[in-house]
Amino acid sequence: MKDRGWLVLTVAAIGMLALPFLRDQFGFPVFYLVFLSGVLFWTAQATSWNILSGYSGYFSFGQGAFFGVGVYSVAFFFARRGLSWWVGVLLGGLLSMLLALILGTIAFRLRQLRGEIFALLTLAIPFILAAVVRLSRTIDGGQGVGIPVPSYPDMIGPFQHFYFVLSALVALIALALAYGMQRTRYGWALFAIHDDEQVAEGLGVPTFRYKMIAIAVTGLLGGLSGAVFALNLGHVSPEGTFNLRVPLFAIVMSALGGRRHWAGPMVGALYIYTLQNRLSAAGFEGWSLIVLGAILISLILFAPDGLMSRFTRRPWTVTAVLVGVLVAMTALGTGLIIDRLAVALLVAAVTAFLPRRATADTRPPETARGLSGLEQDPGGDEARPPELGRPLVSVADVTKSFGGVRALAGVSITVSEGELVGLVGPNGSGKTTLVNVISGTLRPTSGSITVAGFDIAGLQPHRISHLGLARTYQIPRPFPTLTVRDNVAIAIMFGREPRGLYSSREAADEHLAMVGLAELAHAYPPGINLHERQLLEMARAIATRPKVLLLDEALAGLNPVEIDNAVAVVRRIHRSGVAIVLVEHLLRVVNQLSTRIIVLDQGLLLAEGEPAEVLKDPAVVATYLGKQPHA
Amino acid sequence: MSKATRTVSILAAVMLVAAACGDDSAQTTTTTSASPTTTQAAATTTEAAPTGEPIVVGGSLALTGAVGATGTIHRIAGQLYVERLNAAGGLLGRPVVFEPLDDESDPTRVGDLYEQLISQDGVDLIMGPYATPWILQAQAVAERHGFVLPHHTAVLAPALGYECQFPGWSIGPEPNVFIPNQVADALDSIGGMSTVALVTNSSGSTAFVSHGVPDVEGSRGALDVFPERGYQVVADESYPPGNTEWGAIALSIRNADPDFVMVNGLGIEANGLIDAMSQLDYSPRMIFALFPAPGAVLAMGEAAEGMLSVSMFESNESILANASDQVREIVAEFEARAAAAGVAYTTFETQAAASWNAWDILTQGVEGAGSLDHREICDYLQQNGANLTFAGQMSFPRDDNNFWPTNQVLKQVQDGDWVVVWPADQAAAPLRGPGN
Amino acid sequence: MNELQSIIFGALTGSSFALIALGVSLTWGFLKVINISHFGLVLIGSYLTFQVATSTGMDPIATVVVTAPAMFVLGATIQWVFERFQVSELNSLLIGYGLLIIIIQVVQNTWSADFQRMDPSLNPYFTRSIAIGQLRFPVATLLAAGFAIALVLVAHFVLEKTYAGRALQAFGQDRQIAGAFGIDHRLLGILLAGTIGASGAIAGMLYALGQTLSPDAPFEWIGRVFAIVILGGIGNVTGTLYAGLLVGAVSGIVAFIWSASVAPLVVFSLVVLALIFRPQGLFLRKGGH
Repeated sequence: MKDRGWLVLTVAAIGMLALPFLRDQFGFPVFYLVFLSGVLFWTAQATSWNILSGYSGYFSFGQGAFFGVGVYSVAFFFARRGLSWWVGVLLGGLLSMLLALILGTIAFRLRQLRGEIFALLTLAIPFILAAVVRLSRTIDGGQGVGIPVPSYPDMIGPFQHFYFVLSALVALIALALAYGMQRTRYGWALFAIHDDEQVAEGLGVPTFRYKMIAIAVTGLLGGLSGAVFALNLGHVSPEGTFNLRVPLFAIVMSALGGRRHWAGPMVGALYIYTLQNRLSAAGFEGWSLIVLGAILISLILFAPDGLMSRFTRRPWTVTAVLVGVLVAMTALGTGLIIDRLAVALLVAAVTAFLPRRATADTRPPETARGLSGLEQDPGGDEARPPELGRPLVSVADVTKSFGGVRALAGVSITVSEGELVGLVGPNGSGKTTLVNVISGTLRPTSGSITVAGFDIAGLQPHRISHLGLARTYQIPRPFPTLTVRDNVAIAIMFGREPRGLYSSREAADEHLAMVGLAELAHAYPPGINLHERQLLEMARAIATRPKVLLLDEALAGLNPVEIDNAVAVVRRIHRSGVAIVLVEHLLRVVNQLSTRIIVLDQGLLLAEGEPAEVLKDPAVVATYLGKQPHA
Repeated sequence: MSKATRTVSILAAVMLVAAACGDDSAQTTTTTSASPTTTQAAATTTEAAPTGEPIVVGGSLALTGAVGATGTIHRIAGQLYVERLNAAGGLLGRPVVFEPLDDESDPTRVGDLYEQLISQDGVDLIMGPYATPWILQAQAVAERHGFVLPHHTAVLAPALGYECQFPGWSIGPEPNVFIPNQVADALDSIGGMSTVALVTNSSGSTAFVSHGVPDVEGSRGALDVFPERGYQVVADESYPPGNTEWGAIALSIRNADPDFVMVNGLGIEANGLIDAMSQLDYSPRMIFALFPAPGAVLAMGEAAEGMLSVSMFESNESILANASDQVREIVAEFEARAAAAGVAYTTFETQAAASWNAWDILTQGVEGAGSLDHREICDYLQQNGANLTFAGQMSFPRDDNNFWPTNQVLKQVQDGDWVVVWPADQAAAPLRGPGN
Repeated sequence: MNELQSIIFGALTGSSFALIALGVSLTWGFLKVINISHFGLVLIGSYLTFQVATSTGMDPIATVVVTAPAMFVLGATIQWVFERFQVSELNSLLIGYGLLIIIIQVVQNTWSADFQRMDPSLNPYFTRSIAIGQLRFPVATLLAAGFAIALVLVAHFVLEKTYAGRALQAFGQDRQIAGAFGIDHRLLGILLAGTIGASGAIAGMLYALGQTLSPDAPFEWIGRVFAIVILGGIGNVTGTLYAGLLVGAVSGIVAFIWSASVAPLVVFSLVVLALIFRPQGLFLRKGGH
């Protein structure tokens, strides 16, 4: 199945590039090539935007900057300086990519810019470039630059053929890159970053590097596409290049088509461009924009995830409708080809809004869920301490202050192979902070931490994860737009033994079975309950094949049945050879599971040792004064 | 969800119906494929109704968007011209159809639209769009297909190199030199003025007139010409297109206190500047605006009195009195149409006159060549020129990129109207100096 | 003195942008919708002011009596649509854009693409300014600044001191939890959007006081308004006002000392620098956002 996709794309590519040369055979007017060139241009721009903003969620308003750099590279190098047109185009792509990398360095490395701050940064860049271009008499000076007709081999035919071939090449490169990303773990890493960057980083995804690649690709494609577009214009000007048109349309097209699918932006481009073209050609005289706006609003309201997500649910129906309408209109002879296309697209969109077929989301009955496939532990089993090995995590005199608040005031602990350490203490004692510091989410104010013998000071969380440390979150943070199975697969893809997309998915099943979520493999996190989400957290954590696992209040909010189930799962994980640090309130559970207990109070180590002894220690009892010593 | 689906289905159905209706109208205008170029005898059937397959003239205009106001003027003028043409027997005896498409004030759409008109819709002739950047895009397409491109509003002569484009409005081959000189002539006649402030919209033709072409050695503009004529330039301000803040520029001008302010700007930019200067309790002694929106300027009332600008034609009483009946008819009919279309300023002036000239060029080229073959039309016009209703007999010198010797005059706001004031022999009223 | 004058010009103009920005910022911060159609409401407000003043001879400032309720209804309706369809933040941006282009087209169909300007006899505010010593304060933008300050004060009071205001803040921070506490977010959201629509009508009226109207104006506003919204901190009313004044003042002084063509370069470069050095926004609210 994987190979078929590339085959189809290659065939489509060859077909598209051959189109101009077949024009004589099929006898269609050159205008259709011009029309297609427009669709291809917008496909490239929208796909380019989507790779950074759609896939990874870093919303950019700056597509106009990349487009503009491409346009002005051609204007400067080709028109003003007389270099070959393809030099202008290549430089357009490269300079744009360079701009993208600079932006990325500022936004992703120097400061961790997110959300609207990143959007504003990207919005400001085109304004700056416009002003520079306008002020510099070398580049433009304000009056615009005339673009001469480029020279190209005669055999290509008239200029429209040449422009079409170039546009098609750029669009095909863009689609190939987007498609390739979606078939490999790289794209899924971007999806994970989109959903929860911090968690992704913790699972081993090198988020900075991947975001830089994404923005570089966006810049490259935006620049190449803009440069090619300039060859078709007789004249470029700063106000005509650096306005809101390209960014707004790229966003609209991607959102309409679907931001998760590699073909989404292309579909959106096809829709918007065709509709706009037909509406203005039809001479509605003052209505075309109203109709376009109304169609856009309806489509967004009723397909908020984009058209592709609807189309992929019933691909055959949609194709049938599309072809059917085209054939019917051709037979009746109504309208011109592009009119028929516009109507067919609209009708196809409507069919996609028909009520959803029930998805294969069959959920097993409540009681059986989560417990199937698990070997039932004989009740009341005591933890058999396995072989104790060498130290895996050493925390030496670590403090952590948040402003004036000292969350950790000098804590030293060691966790060794084979241990199951219970970390307890009243609220505010610093348990979660300690977990955060060990996993690298927070940097300690002072003190040192080693994991598997390596000092983790200054290491990014994904590197710490590669050292063999995994953690879960108190409030589960699954990737909401990925299936349960893909959630686990991400961890495998970027774990200590990285694998590709498909083998990771297969391997994920094993871990799902370990926690008893095998039946929910294709469900989405918003549709599963809290207990299942906590199990998913655990499955995801163990999928990275850690040596030590930090479980942060993994039993919070569960009913007694679920708690027993969770305890069984934790035991299984421990027995599979993973050292565990269990942060918990429920002392009965801690008592049941732990080989050793550590008690924190107000950021300091209060007591440490065998469960039975520690729980009888008067100081420990005093801190829990008023609380029931058993859950 | 079913209720929503129903709503959507209804909405979609409405769209489909609308689209289908649109198809019909598009179809009627495009049933003709490229007509056979039958060379008919140039019979001047002045009163007989035109017969036969319509000749389709395609084109785009900015009917909506930033420059939609002026694009609308050209649509009205063009459609009026075609009506009168058909009433007088049509072109080559055939009726003419002109339905401009809307490029929504977006120059990058012009190329696609003209490609569509020429290669899909198969129009016989084309008429240029509105304003220089748009016309430059259309020029590229016209050149590719070898179509004659008459246009009404590109004055940036150096950029229009295609041999078969013909301007309906000409400020000669060097507007950047001509305009400042003409203005200086007028100032000379008033006398007693020595300082000039220059304010420029740094884009397209306005920047061209102020500063010449940036990467051509020795290219001059107002900034260079005024000193040559003995006027000192005491301020040289520029602003980006789309600027809406005039305080800083007004301040600079007030401080420089020039005798004359030349605002090479477009649309309502001079309005904003004058308002800002008034807020500073300053009003310049004399002010000039290059391509203002004439109606918007008049709407300023007292504050606009005395403003100068360029013109090709104004519907002033004395000018109309000396013109032909035909001109008077055209002017009256146009104003009625414009009023009906809700246009704020309905006076027939330079823009409409330029449009008329462009249509004259097209129709005379076709009639003269006796065919719809673009090569023949182009050759005919090159060899014979054209008799423009609002400019007289003109030829199209190749050396000047087909830009005929200009008939430009200067107009001035006097008592709430634009009046031609310079040169004196063409004036409808005397040029008023500062302090009236 | 000249420099100060140019700063005054710029800051006052900036405050009229801040007025528009406040509308966008409040809906973005508390209702989680990026409502670009607000620009359309301002546009309609300006044209309605023009029309009502021209047809009835009413003082243009008084026209808000008519325009504000109309825009209240429109703003509330748009928010109702967003609520009804549970529109996400990004999709609200797109729908807002669709609405904006529809509004612009409708305005053009009604009033033509031509420039419209109130007669000076109806509207003396084009050229009026208040003199304080050597300095001049243009009345139109001064009114805008005054209204912006008033709006900020009222908003600040409502948000911090009234139950409804705090409910809105809660709603803005965590919709579901706020709902669980019995806050009728739908009604609250609709009322807020309506009020913001009315403020848009006033912003439009103030715009018409000083400018010649054309249907395409909103596209010139978008860049600067968004810069002000984000610099000021989304949902931060006082911050938005300060950001508007700052952006305007910088623009004014740069245009005077250097050139109006350089002003956008400086302003947006400063925006970039501000984002690099204070990525949490220039003007922190206590509690942050």
